[in-house]
Amino acid sequence: MTMPVLPPGTDTGPAGATPPRPVHRLPFWVNQRLGLLVLVIGLSALFGVLQPAFLDARLVLFPLVRDVSTLTVVALAQMVVLSVGHMNLAVGRMAAFGALFAGFGYDRLDLPLPLGLLLCLLAGAAIGALTGWIITRTGVSSFVVTLAMDFALLGLVSLLYSALTENAAFTSRPSGLAELRSYSLADICVGPVCGSPVIPQLAQFTVLALVGLGFLYARTRIGRELLLTGANPAAAELSGIPTGRRLILAHTLSGLLAALAGFMAAVGTGTFRASIGDDFMLPSFLGSVLGGTLLTGGVVSVLGALLGTSLVGVIRKGLDLLGVGLESLNIYLGCVLLLALSADRVRTVVAHRKVVRST
Amino acid sequence: MAVAVLAAASAGCTLKNSGEPAGGRGPASARAGGGSAVLADGSATKVALVPGGAHPYFQPWKSAGADAKKTYRLGDVTFDETAEWDQQKQNNLLSTLAARGYNAFGVFGVSPTDINTTFADLKSQGLAVASLGSCPAGRNEADFCLSTDVELAAYKAAKAAIDAMGGKGTIVHLTGNNVDANTQLRIKGVARAVKETGGKAKLLQTVTDIDKDLQTAQKAVSDLLTAKGKQIQGIVSTAYNPAVAAADAVKSSGSRAKVVAIDDDAKILSSIKQGTVTATVVQNPVGQAEVGAWALALLQTKQCTMRTPGRSVDSGSFVVTKKNVTTYDRARKAKTGRLKKQFADDVLACG
Repeated sequence: MTMPVLPPGTDTGPAGATPPRPVHRLPFWVNQRLGLLVLVIGLSALFGVLQPAFLDARLVLFPLVRDVSTLTVVALAQMVVLSVGHMNLAVGRMAAFGALFAGFGYDRLDLPLPLGLLLCLLAGAAIGALTGWIITRTGVSSFVVTLAMDFALLGLVSLLYSALTENAAFTSRPSGLAELRSYSLADICVGPVCGSPVIPQLAQFTVLALVGLGFLYARTRIGRELLLTGANPAAAELSGIPTGRRLILAHTLSGLLAALAGFMAAVGTGTFRASIGDDFMLPSFLGSVLGGTLLTGGVVSVLGALLGTSLVGVIRKGLDLLGVGLESLNIYLGCVLLLALSADRVRTVVAHRKVVRST
Repeated sequence: MAVAVLAAASAGCTLKNSGEPAGGRGPASARAGGGSAVLADGSATKVALVPGGAHPYFQPWKSAGADAKKTYRLGDVTFDETAEWDQQKQNNLLSTLAARGYNAFGVFGVSPTDINTTFADLKSQGLAVASLGSCPAGRNEADFCLSTDVELAAYKAAKAAIDAMGGKGTIVHLTGNNVDANTQLRIKGVARAVKETGGKAKLLQTVTDIDKDLQTAQKAVSDLLTAKGKQIQGIVSTAYNPAVAAADAVKSSGSRAKVVAIDDDAKILSSIKQGTVTATVVQNPVGQAEVGAWALALLQTKQCTMRTPGRSVDSGSFVVTKKNVTTYDRARKAKTGRLKKQFADDVLACG
């Protein structure tokens, strides 16, 4: 589901007016997402052979998929701002900010689970919108504004938790939260047929985010306008696209998704606390960029974010299971990721040469 | 939209576990005591000692765990510090270790407010679990907690500093992550000691979030002494890195502030001998790992059960000054021996 913007002037008019030039498509195996999928499956199989416990549904695969679900939403939160050529360095703090509101809602307002989630999403969207508004109004780069927002939220969130709670966390758990954390599709049955014990129910939010963003970028005018704004802001402006509003929209979506990830992380660990999202920034870039989203804007890959995040998750879990120590684990993780990215580049170059030779 | 789909899914499908409690098995019923707390056969017990992340405080766990493996002939004892101070990563690490066959866990939870959920998960899988080095906030879901009473240790440290200052003056408190339940307890402990002086001693400032690494702590302490050095008569550090930084800074700046540090880093001990650090509050990580691994093996083999599931036991904290700097380890070893007896007599019920 990679959505690039067509270059300005690309003729997509009716066929037959002029004989189209032969299009030399790259072979199917150059597809980055296919490469990632093969890597994820191949590495899973390899780890499964080296350490059969890797295939343990309850102890390994269920927590792995739950983590990947959360980190995929984090990657999507970064992807939407990358699509307009911006970045969000405050993605982790926005997650903590959203989770703070959910925790407050459950602890102080006795809200039911869905309403707390709604409050969390609204808070995330609001802080994202404010960030986007500041960027468009001041013209300061997103790097600087989101970095400043990161610091501001770090202080604000800590201050609010210290003021509102005794243990720097909201520990109230609304009805349904424990089930959302620990239940899988195996707990949902239609007649005698139950789902897989590997897929956590928490993953429904990730699926919704993937489907929603996939639809936005592939099927809607606004999605295309977001990509065009990222590919060439000046051209987008001259084409009549309200680039300012599109930038605010991208940051609003990023804040909303970050807050959703914060909620999922809180559900995954048990309480709503200030340290949620501390480690989100690196995975947010890693997942989206590994998946094929360009840092320069204009190209996103919604499915790629899922596959990129899955690849990192599988490598980390596999190395953990093989008993690799902390220092070695990070070295191996770095090497494997470098190989994955290099392999993709090599594949593209080889395929491109083949196409050139064939013409 | 997510909520709507969740509601629709719930309405259309049946929940297999809907009638069951989510927390897992209930607390083990305690049997009458009188049995032997000598481990009969620990060869099937594989103990994992899992700190919240890499930190010098936990290094004694490694050797104490290896010693416990030999002494009690346990199947295995591993020490894994790859949690990187992230609760999610620690949860993953614990489930991975369980998949690798470890069946008894001594865990320092990253987040005291979240770790109970993790303990409940592990216990629901029939594993023996102890909270070592730190107790969860609220009720403890692990079989037991063996840890320093952090509020008491901070109180002792502040009291030692105030005594060294002649019962009056201004102190500062250096500590770790502000949004951590244990830090809040340490802040309470120091505040209690200050309050007891009836206004003679004052707390000038509590500096938090400086235990990330030594460099951060050094910078913070240096800034503090530059800005307010003349007002400060006492420095209480309840975190490791600021303690080392304060010991260095006071020595190099010639400050007359009375420093009370934490733990027994070589630098701190030598500063105590030289008189630049007044005292340090030493904890008992060796006792936590040794007694923890032994008690976990007794629980895992079902040789014993907990008399009161979730009970917290103080692993001990000792004020070390110039007077007892060469002998304090004896007191610590004696405490470890007493801890073992306490577990055998009062904490465990062995058949």
